Amino acid sequence: MTDLVEVRPGVYHDSVTLMRVSQALTARPEVAVAVVAMGTDLNAGLARDLGFEVPPTTPGDLLVAIRAATSADLGEAAAELERQLATTGSGGGKARDEAPPRTVRSAARSWEATVALVSVPGEHAFAEALDAVEAGLSVMIFSDNVPVEQEILLKDRARARGVLVMGPDCGTAVVGGAGLGFANVLRPGPVGVVAASGTGAQQVTCLLDIAGVGVSHVLGVGGRDLSAEVGGRSAVQALRALDEDPATELIVLVSKPPAPEAARAVRDLGLATPVVAALLGPGEDDLTAVAEKALRALGRDVPEWPCWPAGEAPAREGRRPLRGLYSGGTLCAEAALIAGADTATEAGFVDFGDDAYTRGRAHPMIDPSLRREALRGVASGVVLLDVVLGHGADPDPSSWLAPEVRDAVARGVDVVVALVGADGDPQGLRAQAARLNEAGAAVFTSNAAAARHARRLADG
Amino acid sequence: MSVGTRQKGRRTAAPAPRPPAAPSYVSGAASVAVRPALESPRRPARVLAAFPLALYLEVRSECEPHVIAVVTGEGVRLPNAVLLGESLDGVSAGDDGWVGDGSIEIGGLSVGVRRWWDPAPALAPADPARLAAAPAVLAGIRAASPRRPGLDPAGAPALLERGCLRGSLVESITAAEQLIGLGPGLTPSGDDMLAGLLVALRHLGRAAGAPRAVWLADWLAAAVTFDARTRTTSISATLLHCAARGEASPEVLGVLRAAAGHQPPEPAVNRLLRLGHTSGADLAWGVQIGVSAVLSLLGTGAAGGPTGPARRERP
Amino acid sequence: MTLSMLYGEPRVITVGAEVLAEALDRQAVPQRRVDWRPPAPGVAASLARVLADPRRVQANATAVGRMLSARPMLTGVRPAREALGLEAGTFFHAGPPITWERASGPMRGALIGAMLFEGLAATPEEAAERLASGAGITLDSCHHHRTVGPMAGVVSPSMWMLEVADAEHGATAYCSLNEGLGKVLRYGAYGPEVIERLRWMGEVLGPALAAALERCGPLDLRTLVAQALQMGDELHNRNRAATSLLVREIAPAVVEAAPGRAAEVLRFVNGNDHFFLNAGMAAAKAAADAARGVPGSSLVVAMARNGTDFGIQVSGLGDRWFTGPAGVPDGLYLGGYGPDDANPDIGDSTITETVGLGGFAMAAAPAIVRFVGGEVADAVAATTSMYEITLAEHPAYQIPGLGFRGTPAGIDVALVARTGVLPVVNTGIAGRVAGTGQVGAGLVSPPAGVFTAALDALAAA
Repeated sequence: MTDLVEVRPGVYHDSVTLMRVSQALTARPEVAVAVVAMGTDLNAGLARDLGFEVPPTTPGDLLVAIRAATSADLGEAAAELERQLATTGSGGGKARDEAPPRTVRSAARSWEATVALVSVPGEHAFAEALDAVEAGLSVMIFSDNVPVEQEILLKDRARARGVLVMGPDCGTAVVGGAGLGFANVLRPGPVGVVAASGTGAQQVTCLLDIAGVGVSHVLGVGGRDLSAEVGGRSAVQALRALDEDPATELIVLVSKPPAPEAARAVRDLGLATPVVAALLGPGEDDLTAVAEKALRALGRDVPEWPCWPAGEAPAREGRRPLRGLYSGGTLCAEAALIAGADTATEAGFVDFGDDAYTRGRAHPMIDPSLRREALRGVASGVVLLDVVLGHGADPDPSSWLAPEVRDAVARGVDVVVALVGADGDPQGLRAQAARLNEAGAAVFTSNAAAARHARRLADG
Repeated sequence: MSVGTRQKGRRTAAPAPRPPAAPSYVSGAASVAVRPALESPRRPARVLAAFPLALYLEVRSECEPHVIAVVTGEGVRLPNAVLLGESLDGVSAGDDGWVGDGSIEIGGLSVGVRRWWDPAPALAPADPARLAAAPAVLAGIRAASPRRPGLDPAGAPALLERGCLRGSLVESITAAEQLIGLGPGLTPSGDDMLAGLLVALRHLGRAAGAPRAVWLADWLAAAVTFDARTRTTSISATLLHCAARGEASPEVLGVLRAAAGHQPPEPAVNRLLRLGHTSGADLAWGVQIGVSAVLSLLGTGAAGGPTGPARRERP
Repeated sequence: MTLSMLYGEPRVITVGAEVLAEALDRQAVPQRRVDWRPPAPGVAASLARVLADPRRVQANATAVGRMLSARPMLTGVRPAREALGLEAGTFFHAGPPITWERASGPMRGALIGAMLFEGLAATPEEAAERLASGAGITLDSCHHHRTVGPMAGVVSPSMWMLEVADAEHGATAYCSLNEGLGKVLRYGAYGPEVIERLRWMGEVLGPALAAALERCGPLDLRTLVAQALQMGDELHNRNRAATSLLVREIAPAVVEAAPGRAAEVLRFVNGNDHFFLNAGMAAAKAAADAARGVPGSSLVVAMARNGTDFGIQVSGLGDRWFTGPAGVPDGLYLGGYGPDDANPDIGDSTITETVGLGGFAMAAAPAIVRFVGGEVADAVAATTSMYEITLAEHPAYQIPGLGFRGTPAGIDVALVARTGVLPVVNTGIAGRVAGTGQVGAGLVSPPAGVFTAALDALAAA
């Protein structure tokens, strides 16, 4: 085995891109292990743990560490690395006459935009988002770990400027048909959504789309917006903006139960447009019920939500453990509530999208490795998982999940999948469902229905 | 409305049978107007015309729009358009393709849709004062621009304007019959004018609370679309069908928003005027007649005339 | 409220994860990607505080607005003794304040020359001894006295100064007269020919120019600089067009005012392509001073080097200097000189970059891109990259090759710290050994630490 360790000062790529490069390298047969990452203490430590001799690095350096059988293999891997790095971040390889802008401020000065999408690491998001607001642009902040006082300041400045701050930690938005972040391919239609929960909004809008009802806009506000501290600053603005929007006939508000102050702020707006609220929590409607309520409010029929039951399973004896392995926090909470409502004994629900699991790695909607490990560890009982489709998500989740489902079913585990997607999604909603179903999973487009089904299976 | 003036030459002198190569998959954004065509079973299609920024694909189908514009870069987002991020090389007029089952196949490309947009977004209620001033404002900007419509104002255009302002169905339809297909080009001037008029009557009629204008739009639309396919080019006929449903390019919709007082008129009108050879000017003229008609029909109810023809539901 | 992004075609600026940008490409959404890189470690906290300062936007607009609206006029030429109240034994110098002990070769050489010129010492050795002892000697920064000086920038009472008044804001700024190329005081040379030339400048050149300006002045330098930029000058390393324009303006008046000496005066001015540099520097100093003292502003109002330290001053931080080690310029060398002969960066001429000229206007001066070791495309790239760290585009100073876009003007310490893009400085290179003179010219980068230190100070203010 030989090692290649390189530190390239001043070369920057985002973490998702580098993770893909590392994966592509590690996937090569001649490569034992590869770390291509920015030189943070965490990443340098990771490489040292793998036995690489890493010189001192700073977060502004690109760290490359590759281990291969022979030096010839190493040379090939290094060449592949260059190919991989050369094809990223070039905007499809098109050469530009002028150097690309280095800040949102500079981009906004030279190009007419309507919105900015910020996904730099959280400690740096404030500057870019503030640039957008000062340039009179609304901004979606996908980044998490942005201090709350920065959030409040951004939202106050935005209100003064007549623009909207979506986020921080805003996973999804659809603006004028364009999906920002993790978003589904939804048809245009009469429903406007204000969401403090990304996957919650995705569930509701996907069900509406399946029912043939589209959205005008989906405006995320960030998970903290309806807290006591932030007080619903963006939710209030988003609700007012949708109320003004002639294309929006009905507004759906998706949030965890808001703090009383925030609830008051959003309630006392006197909107002309009817609002259906999805306040996720005990005693509240689940997301599917909210979608149904919205359909009824529009005078539309509620369809049977598509599902693909698993084949006849052998009769199981008695109660069995139920595990929930989720990528979406809201979906996880909803499922835990439904599945555990009557017993509250199940502790087996894990949200792999939580900060504790995403530190130093990509979101589970992109990187399935932790969930795959967890699924492999389930020896018996019932497993409930979510699969979220759409822009930005795993381009073909069934390619890794279907074989795992097959193995799990062979072990005697019942697998239930909540498949959140729209018919237009690039992964193909029905194709994904069919492949997972063929592998032996029961597949539901409604997370609530999936959770109830899993509960029934577990109860025996 | 044309999107380029220079037809691209054929790649080869003699049409060679296309080798059955695997298509390269690309994705884009489509108007919901073309969703029925895309979601129908696969049908053969043919390239009517190819320009650097757009090509027109005719689908063998009775449903409208039966012509789909495939647009790239800064090409005009026609209401029947599918926008691509990549360039449109290697496709020529006469090439065969397929449309349906969720994709468009043409010239080795298989186009999937990753975004849907609405070519007829609702217009917020109009500001009465701004709307009242809009005909003069529009006329002023049009007069200051070197862009001129393709038709002489006397004759059918004058008759159309008079008919619309009076709310006279007979005069309006008589004029419209004369205007369909009138003028040179892929989208004759008469058609562009009618398209501008139709969308202005429908959207501003609704936004200003002038039901009589919407009623007029319904009847005119029915008359214009009845035999459009036999009276004008396929592309133009499709765009008239779109206009009949209130669907238009963002440039036209921007002028409607300006007329309703929601954005500054000058840049919006100038953006529209820049389209095509005379198309933008023809559309702007039609919109101006529509705005004037809406104002003149304000306060007159729908009663007194025949009720409108059965409204088509948007897909 | 009406939210404009909800209407019309979405057009998105993306910064961060490539996977999200690619998703927009697949939707054919028009997009502009930001080439974002993380700032230097430790900058984020100060940056957030400074950016959050509610005064910042307005303060910067005010400060840079004052800088860009200045109307510098060349009003006169006077001895420093008279104009600046400079007394015998007091010397001003370029850059942030420095002591004899820390002064570099060329700075020491220029001070020695000034001692000889003022008659405070008979020999260079005696001058050096007195300067080292400090007895009766006061050194201070030009910038503390509305003054700038190229290279060593040493000003003594008997030197004649160009006087520039800002007709918009009323302040005055000064710069010495340019001595020409070769062995000159500003590069640390102090031989007899240097002292002789200074005498002539005091006896003939200064009075002749003063008398001429009385007839034809004041001279509008804003207009002159704007014209020179369109004639291929960037006003730091190339001043040929500006010098020619200046000569055209004053020649008749020189002939009328000093008929006996006109030929030698004009021949001297004409023979030095950099004669205008000093007038341009005084004009820049007047404009930069107009922007001083706006609380909350992160605008750089001075960049200057003394041959040892590179220092900046910031509008919202008073007269405080933020200094770091001056770098050695990267460039072309004259004759047999090489990098080993070069002194670290020196001079107040970075006042031109401070107001959007010099390296910031490189795209206007294709003639000298070779001189600073590059192609025309590099010059365009240099200027273009400066828009990333500047607050405005100069309304009068325009670059024909960039479609008459205004030059990038008004450096923001927050933007420098954020992007890591450092100001591009064009400069002459002085010999390391006192008395050598100029050895080359090239490009130099300021030390990044001065900008982050200023940012930290703004955050703490």
